[in-house]
Amino acid sequence: MAETEIIKKFKVINEYGIHARPAALLVKAAGKYDCDIFIEKDDNKVSCKSIMGLMTIEGYPGSTIQVSASGEDAQDAMDEIEELFVNKFYED
Amino acid sequence: MAITVQQLWDEGAERLSLSIVAGENYLNNSLLEIAMNRPGLALTGFFQYFANQRLQIFGLAEFTYLKSLSTTEKDARLRALFEQKIPCVVITRNRKTPKGILELAEKFKVPVLRTSMVTMNFVNECTVLLKKLSAPRKRIQGTMMEVMGIGVLLRGDPGIGKSETALSLIERGYCLVSDDVTEIRRTSRDRILCWANEVTRYHMEIRGLGIIHVPSLFGVSAIRRETELDVVIDLKKPSGNEDRTGVHPDTITMMDVEIPCITLPVRSGRDMANIVEVAALNQKLKELGHDAAKELDDKIIERLTKGRVRHG
Repeated sequence: MAETEIIKKFKVINEYGIHARPAALLVKAAGKYDCDIFIEKDDNKVSCKSIMGLMTIEGYPGSTIQVSASGEDAQDAMDEIEELFVNKFYED
Repeated sequence: MAITVQQLWDEGAERLSLSIVAGENYLNNSLLEIAMNRPGLALTGFFQYFANQRLQIFGLAEFTYLKSLSTTEKDARLRALFEQKIPCVVITRNRKTPKGILELAEKFKVPVLRTSMVTMNFVNECTVLLKKLSAPRKRIQGTMMEVMGIGVLLRGDPGIGKSETALSLIERGYCLVSDDVTEIRRTSRDRILCWANEVTRYHMEIRGLGIIHVPSLFGVSAIRRETELDVVIDLKKPSGNEDRTGVHPDTITMMDVEIPCITLPVRSGRDMANIVEVAALNQKLKELGHDAAKELDDKIIERLTKGRVRHG
């Protein structure tokens, strides 16, 4: 199977942006899948499976973040990540 | 890499005792050439090969020369200089800025900075700073440690045990530079400097524990602000394809710099910290000109050659 890369852009819409808790949720979601997942913002590209990486991209509220996934289960991973962004990381 | 006057101001205002005299709104001018120029020759009216993209330094020589000119001449010469689209002017020795320069700065959108330093010292220190600001840099995935003065970058897939290995190394008395995300900058033709991101500096993430703050737990001797990269260690799942002799060491290229690279297979129960420690020591030994693998191989080859003579 040819490896395709799925790229999607998300807006950070929760109140505090990507702090420790959302970062942990993203890492947990990404960690379930074998595919490579990267998060990119302002020329900074980090693995979505790294908490430290996610906390350094400065995903403040209102910013746009690009997620790219490549590998066999990329689509499933992307769907789960999208759910987190859309649902404001389940924060009240 | 081009930088802006703003970057120079942010990093250098204190270090270079700078203050802004005029043109505060034009700090986003770019220094397309990372260097300084004494515009003495340009002030005489000679503009051939004038390095107009550099920082222009007005020192004692420039001021004394300007003083020797009549007012109209002085204004015309300064105007001709500012017309060259210079990015920024720095006045040294805290000289009073002539009114003409203040007006020209606004008109031609050129920031004018002033320092109390004497020209020579300013130029020397500013060169170092400009070099630092313009050096190629990027952010890479990997945990950076300093082991007995050797900068070791641990890389590997998520969950392979980079942070755990780093933690064991810290317990052995070595220093953490950065966990998981490392900022790198090429400082010269063949050296790379590594440090941690401002926000997450000295924090680590350990699976099952969460985030820990290393100096609070292990003391300040367990951390190091920055270190030069000497060797890259890739932690990998065992493939059966590992190097068994070390006679032909691998290297990788990072920002056009060749760095020794060791691939270590990770098996459960294997003490990775111990192996990384030995790898760093071995690297240190190699830098001293002592290559154990090569020496053993040479010894064997020598014996084999002798044997051939005896039996042949």
